[in-house]
Amino acid sequence: MVVTALLVATAIPVIGFVRLAELSNHVRPRLRQAAPYLGVLAATLLVNSVTRRIGPEVSWIIGWEITGIIYGIEGTLVPTLQSLSPPWLVTYFSLTYVYGYVYLLVFPLLAYLAIDDQEPFRKTVVAYTFNYAIGLMCYLLFIAYGPRNLLPNLVDPLLYVNWPRSQILTSEVNVNTNVFPSLHTSLSATVAILAYRTRDQYPRWLAASVVVAISVIFSTMVLGIHWATDVVAGLVLAVVSVRLADRVEDRHHGEAEGDEADESDDEERDEADEARPGVDEPGDDEELDATATA
Amino acid sequence: MTRGEDDDGFPTRRGVLATTAGVGLASTSGCIRRLRSLMNRETGQQVSVRIKTVPADKDPVAVTIARNLADNLETAGIESRVVLMPADELLRDVLINHDFDLYVATHAGASDPDFLRPLTHSRFAAETGWQNPFGFADLTVDDLLEEQRWSQGRSRRLTVEELQRELVRQQPFTTVAVPDDVWAVREDRFVGWREFGLASPLNYVALRPTGSEAAARRPGAETPARQDELRVVTTDSRVTENSNPIAVEFRNRGTFMGLLYDSLAREYDGSYNPWLAEEWTWEETGDDALDVTVRLREDLTWHDGSDLTASDVAFTYRFLSDTSLGNQESSVPAPQYRAQTSLVESAEALDDRRVRLRVTASHEVAESVLTVPILPEREWRPMSKEADIAGVEVAEGTTEALVWDNPEPVGSGPLQLERRIAGENVSFEPFEDHFLERGDTAPNERFGRIAFTSLDVRVAPSSTAMVELVAADDADATSSSLAADDVPRIGRNSDLELVVEQSRSYYHVGFNADVSPMSNTRFRRTVARLVDKEHIVRTVMGGYASPVASPLDGTEWLPSDLEWGESAPRLSFLGEDGQPDEEAAREAFENAGFRYDEDGRLIAR
Repeated sequence: MVVTALLVATAIPVIGFVRLAELSNHVRPRLRQAAPYLGVLAATLLVNSVTRRIGPEVSWIIGWEITGIIYGIEGTLVPTLQSLSPPWLVTYFSLTYVYGYVYLLVFPLLAYLAIDDQEPFRKTVVAYTFNYAIGLMCYLLFIAYGPRNLLPNLVDPLLYVNWPRSQILTSEVNVNTNVFPSLHTSLSATVAILAYRTRDQYPRWLAASVVVAISVIFSTMVLGIHWATDVVAGLVLAVVSVRLADRVEDRHHGEAEGDEADESDDEERDEADEARPGVDEPGDDEELDATATA
Repeated sequence: MTRGEDDDGFPTRRGVLATTAGVGLASTSGCIRRLRSLMNRETGQQVSVRIKTVPADKDPVAVTIARNLADNLETAGIESRVVLMPADELLRDVLINHDFDLYVATHAGASDPDFLRPLTHSRFAAETGWQNPFGFADLTVDDLLEEQRWSQGRSRRLTVEELQRELVRQQPFTTVAVPDDVWAVREDRFVGWREFGLASPLNYVALRPTGSEAAARRPGAETPARQDELRVVTTDSRVTENSNPIAVEFRNRGTFMGLLYDSLAREYDGSYNPWLAEEWTWEETGDDALDVTVRLREDLTWHDGSDLTASDVAFTYRFLSDTSLGNQESSVPAPQYRAQTSLVESAEALDDRRVRLRVTASHEVAESVLTVPILPEREWRPMSKEADIAGVEVAEGTTEALVWDNPEPVGSGPLQLERRIAGENVSFEPFEDHFLERGDTAPNERFGRIAFTSLDVRVAPSSTAMVELVAADDADATSSSLAADDVPRIGRNSDLELVVEQSRSYYHVGFNADVSPMSNTRFRRTVARLVDKEHIVRTVMGGYASPVASPLDGTEWLPSDLEWGESAPRLSFLGEDGQPDEEAAREAFENAGFRYDEDGRLIAR
């Protein structure tokens, strides 16, 4: 509900009325084109949900227990961060952690589906897939409990104290040993990186996504769910996932799009891609008006 | 203190050696000798310990005890790290593989102090389960344990008191605190929550629908209709994963196993009362043993409909003493109920309803043997074979019975398993052929028919989440004890009642005496002095606990000199308000025979 409201409220100012209006014509063929990518993502999520059930058992056989090591590295950074946060900020972070995060992941799929160049859409889907796949491997290999589980006297499980329902809801998908790396961080950072790449199509999305992503990343620590180490690992995972998505894109679509494939610099290619929709779409100016007046 | 002298000002060995070696420098051979003498000398490594415990979602108290102790040990120059693991993994490491330095956990305790015998007697050190997981061996303690086993009354009391003093002195484990069990319940559908406490299986047998409690108590009164469903919530998911009453790593206090599996007698109201048994008689035998002849109730059946006979009972006692039934080199006793089964020398069925057990203990101790769960021979005899994975033997001395998850338990208890979803929930339904359902309650007038059509036990991720579910009327009660932080939430909700009862269980820090330096009694005693029990009780247990020196604190067995009170407690904390006094701690370790290096690190020999 909350997420849908957010999506609707931000869709017009960010994506633009015309693109949204035309989306209904394009959505089917574009989705059909992207079907293999979406299929792989769906399969990964399925494997993910199955493995999360048996994962902990496997982890205790092959995994490496690192909670104490993480604590040795960063000490009481998370409790300090928490003690510096006033209650209103905690409420904001709780909402961001649950709703802002889902919004952040869903919105780009919608927005990128609405533009002619489908490369950002594909990259988003592929980068999500890598995030989940690599994250899952890490969860099997590293056993780590979050700060609230090691330092209950220093760290309040703020989200769950203020809002116990959320733990009942999230415990069905989250296992409390799956904290290294932080997938909230890595997926949020992934979205922000891709938003930077598409800043010319969606300048407002860049601003919005960076604000939400940073909020989500901080919320994981302030709420006592993740260590700073998990967050750093999450950022690394985001960069790695985007790079891998670039590779996949190059391999499968690079040749089809001619000389662009040879350009290794992503920034340049993004700009090259952007040039075309401006020419192709006559409604470009109206769209600008629509966003300005919205 | 100058280098080469220790804190008493005496020259150290190293200093002396260096000086003598210096004299010998005149000759080359002297130089080589000096080199050898120095090279072959190991500088020693910092003492490093890992403290294993469960995460805060399962037990915020245990992890805080571990965390505080680790910090205090660090202050004293010992590298220490807390390792978090789920309860079953922890118990597997501690109780089965003995793979730990220190751990923090609760022990369920027991009503009779004889539970200390398997726990600390050196003869049990090779067994699994709560059978001397510490690897502790002390002849004085062994003797006292044997003595209390054979004595009664006042002389037994004095022996148990002496035993506690000895255990406090030697610290095979450090008892930290006896917690109160705190449960949140709703009384709008069921009443009677306070009679036995929610840790006891009898609680679920004694519950009555709200408004009909008086009627049910009167023998012969019409039994009230069953309320539909009783929903409880727990933080311990193990009951949803495994229904094997002897799989020690999955058992906590045996609440739900005690509903599936009946025993000959049940303990309540301060004595052992007939349950499956109709009656029993004790008889002295000539050779230092007692015979008890037990007569079973009529027409007892298992959940699968087959008859429960005296031969099942005799089998159970033989099987629990050796789950391999004599097929392995040495016996493989069940890790649970060892205090009881280690007292039973033989068990034989006299006829269908009568069984005779030979018990090697005083009468006072012996009666507890009647409380072990009775298992159906047909189900469990095949489990005596050696455990393997796809035909490959993995661990010698392990039988199938110890690793079986018992997906469809066949017991004879008042409830039978309906459905089990690992990690989520488990539900039970009344067993219609149980003697309580037949109205065959004598001599158990306290109990009648089960008051609900099903018992649903749901797993919640934390204590806070449990309270939330009960508050939202998604559950009738919490079956795990609450964290102290959550107690105020109950006071704020008028639908919720708080049930508080002193627990028999106790928090403790266990030492692995097989590993240096935990093998050193003086080291353990000094570590014990770095646990601030009062601070822990005050800060994390919110006063719902008492700091204790002995695991028998809170029972009538505690000698007055071990009471925690005004007089200075033994092994008092080296510091104040949770903060260790660094100098005092280091001095204590030095007095215990340990040394520090230049960087202030405690050095292992």
